[in-house]
Amino acid sequence: MPDQKITIEYNDRIVRQFLIATVIWGLVGMLVGLLIAAQLNYWQLNFATPWLTWGRIRPLHTNAVIFAFVGNMMFAGVYYSTQRLVKARLASDFLSNLHFWGWQLIIVAAAITLPLGYTRGKEYAELIWPINIAVVLIWVVFAVNFFWTLARRREPALYVALWFYIATIVTVAMLYIVNHLSIPTGLLHSYPIFSGVQDALVQWWYGHNAVAFFLTTPILGIMYYFLPKAAERPVYSYRLSVVHFWSLVFVYIWAGPHHLLNTALPGWLQNLGMTFSLMLWAPSWGGMLNGLLTLRGAWHKLRTDPVLKFFAAAVTFYGMATFEGPLLSIKSVNALAHYTDWIIGHVHVGTLGWNGFMAAGMIYWLLPRLWNKPLYSTALANLHFWIGTVGILLYVAAMWTSGITQGLMLNATTEHGTVLAYPNFLDTLNTIRPMMLMRVIGGGLYLAGWVLLAYNFYRTVRGAQPVNGTIEVYEEAPAPGTRLSLGATFFSAPTVFAVLAVGFATMWMLGSDLVSTAGLAGAVACLIACVALLPSRGGAWNGWYEKLLLNALPFTLLTFFAVVAGGLIQIIPTMIVQQAQNVEDRIQVPYTPLELAGRDLYVREGCYLCHSQMIRTLVPDILRYGDYSRLGESIYDHPFQWGSKRNGPDLARVGGKYPNIWHLRHLEDPRAISPGSNMPTYPWLLANNLDASVLPAKIKVQRMLGVPYGPLSAQQIFDQVDDQAKGIAKDLRASGAYIAPEKEVVALIAYLQTLGKSVPVPPKTNAAP
Amino acid sequence: MTPTPDQPTPPGQDPLRPHTFDGIQEYDKRLPNWWLMTLYGAIIFWAGYWFYYERAHLGLSNAAAVQQQMAVIEAERLASTPTLDDASLWKMSRNPIFVEAGRATFNTTCASCHTEKLTGAIGPNLVDHLWIHGGRPTEIYATVTNGVLVKGMPSWGPVLGPRKITEAVAYILSYHHEGEPIEVQAAWVPHAPQ
Repeated sequence: MPDQKITIEYNDRIVRQFLIATVIWGLVGMLVGLLIAAQLNYWQLNFATPWLTWGRIRPLHTNAVIFAFVGNMMFAGVYYSTQRLVKARLASDFLSNLHFWGWQLIIVAAAITLPLGYTRGKEYAELIWPINIAVVLIWVVFAVNFFWTLARRREPALYVALWFYIATIVTVAMLYIVNHLSIPTGLLHSYPIFSGVQDALVQWWYGHNAVAFFLTTPILGIMYYFLPKAAERPVYSYRLSVVHFWSLVFVYIWAGPHHLLNTALPGWLQNLGMTFSLMLWAPSWGGMLNGLLTLRGAWHKLRTDPVLKFFAAAVTFYGMATFEGPLLSIKSVNALAHYTDWIIGHVHVGTLGWNGFMAAGMIYWLLPRLWNKPLYSTALANLHFWIGTVGILLYVAAMWTSGITQGLMLNATTEHGTVLAYPNFLDTLNTIRPMMLMRVIGGGLYLAGWVLLAYNFYRTVRGAQPVNGTIEVYEEAPAPGTRLSLGATFFSAPTVFAVLAVGFATMWMLGSDLVSTAGLAGAVACLIACVALLPSRGGAWNGWYEKLLLNALPFTLLTFFAVVAGGLIQIIPTMIVQQAQNVEDRIQVPYTPLELAGRDLYVREGCYLCHSQMIRTLVPDILRYGDYSRLGESIYDHPFQWGSKRNGPDLARVGGKYPNIWHLRHLEDPRAISPGSNMPTYPWLLANNLDASVLPAKIKVQRMLGVPYGPLSAQQIFDQVDDQAKGIAKDLRASGAYIAPEKEVVALIAYLQTLGKSVPVPPKTNAAP
Repeated sequence: MTPTPDQPTPPGQDPLRPHTFDGIQEYDKRLPNWWLMTLYGAIIFWAGYWFYYERAHLGLSNAAAVQQQMAVIEAERLASTPTLDDASLWKMSRNPIFVEAGRATFNTTCASCHTEKLTGAIGPNLVDHLWIHGGRPTEIYATVTNGVLVKGMPSWGPVLGPRKITEAVAYILSYHHEGEPIEVQAAWVPHAPQ
């Protein structure tokens, strides 16, 4: 058959669009970040305005930098590199455009709804359900466009960058859908179907792996394309690519519970989270090694080329963050660092250093190629690099110091360990204020660097002619014998050994004594067989993998099974265990309608972003906040509110600790009660009337989700709200404060006063239900 | 294991994989030994840790461990609880070191409700002769330590410990005199700080 030569024009227009969006949303996201950082030092910057208050715009910052900034950057990089790696134009211009405009519309919707207080109350999953549906639809558009392009590829084998893109698309879809399962109570509000510990586990399975599969794997794919291109050097090791890709995608999923160490999460899950986080160190560093060692023979170029400077620093920061991650997952280290600024520092090594610098390197590399004009100023790009690096180092050093200082102060005891050395939380807060200010300065420098990039971008493309890449290809008939059937995919020695090893190890970990022993024997037999067969069969296994790389669908399925295993083994047992067996010795009393309304206000204002509701099984936590939290005490919480950061004290047992008037004055002006506090004021809670009309619909959904509410008519609900609110207003009046019972603050006080008011449960007799 | 030279061979001498992707080539270098050791080490640690805590149950669970630690603290507290009487508290209230230490604790912990002048706002006035829960030094000490939760007075014993509470009580008593009248007050009506 005669080969026919044709010319393909890549769809680079869509890459340019995503690139411009990256720059703009990067500016927005970082600017909001700077504002919330400054608000922690200067509470006045909340401006006593609901939609500028910390708890509402912190989600705006996180969503903007993750999904808008890194999201757009990822789509630009994926679309640019994939077309070239498969020698085919993106399958559909329509889908590409739909993807771009749909994603921007989602971002705009998020930027409007979050400051207005429409939230699901789960970190990085705050967007309300109609937007969730849009996200899933647009992600499917992305997936179809990507896999359709793969199906039309003229390059038979899948390059390592594509492996990472495939893992990203499949896994993000799975995580996002499961963590966003909710039942709407209205157009703008829903309750997640999970509650308490289940919700916590699902949330951090999602939260941890959003970092893994949104901020890490796609960027590793981008690294594998752009770094060797820019360095003009071969990738260091294909073999390392194979080993670190599969170990990374498999191990990552298991590590989610390290966000819940020392909490009420069952111990076996904590131990899984910790040990798998340690196992994640080597796979992560595999990526760093392949990045840095690819620069062998190109190091001299770093002196002149800003692109390589950014890439080399980004990969180094990736290495730092992925060493720090396992370190923080060690339970005793976590006892000090969790809930403190150390975690904020850790996250920003990854986001500012790895994501932000990879984005900058990629943009500077792409600009001349997409607009056919040299970069406006290399000197400015170099300045961006140095200003950004100094910014990151200041930011991170400040957060490490701050986190460790506050952690040590909060945990310090005196008088033979019987009392806290710093019983007043504010002492610890006011000690770290200089470090928090340093963070603002570091972040400001980093943002200044990004402004330089935006200016350089603008000057480069102004008046320039956009240009689309082209390539001449020969239409070839597919080579015979390259198809790998599904049977040959799954019933191959590497797959079978991997499945058996994981299966046996799981039996050993979680089975009863007999099953466990069998699992141990099986796992050891697997290991021995593998090692024994490797010398003779290694070549054949290698050949099988080379063949797998020619077959996109089997490869995608294997990736999916690798990532799904960890989630299933962790989540299913906590689902099938009866909720009633999961309570330990205390159980929550369902909220009254007014308390439920107050809880929704607590969620709306983002209180959980500064206040945890989880007293850990640690002595300093118990001394400061009371007896440790039991599983049963959040069993009816849709969503759970355990929190992940303590900018203020824990609230798990704050109910009844202070009189109503204390809370009123404190919400009105925190500094009137707690001098030195950095909490925003909430004057609108005292001015706005509570919207009780939505409560019947909300209680109906709660009942549907298994919260034991009796049959209540709408009128009964309103009467109960009325009675309880009047009681609180009366008590406030007796204390000299005149607040109408309809005001929102009354509901919030009702909620705060019920926190920790659980009831003891007699030891469980395993009677039949 | 045969030691293999780990030095990176000079670029250009390593064999390249035959295929290129958009001009990108790949070496096929063997995995660095130290990297493999970290991977295997972490796996071995996982197996050992899991065996220790989850299979052999040699380590305590989180809850059991913390209960044990709290029991030790409880014992320590019981052993070191000062036997206080009115006379010694009055004596402390005239000791400037005690009073100064008490003032620091009072201002950071108690003043948000009782004000720095002790004249009361959310919580009652502490300088008049009216007392709700008893005005004798040991009664004041008990009120601070155990709290009066229904009236919004937190129980400070577990947070501050006996020493700080003793000092704070001494500070309050420094505004009073032994033998002054003690009148019973039914309740305190909170008001804004003046």
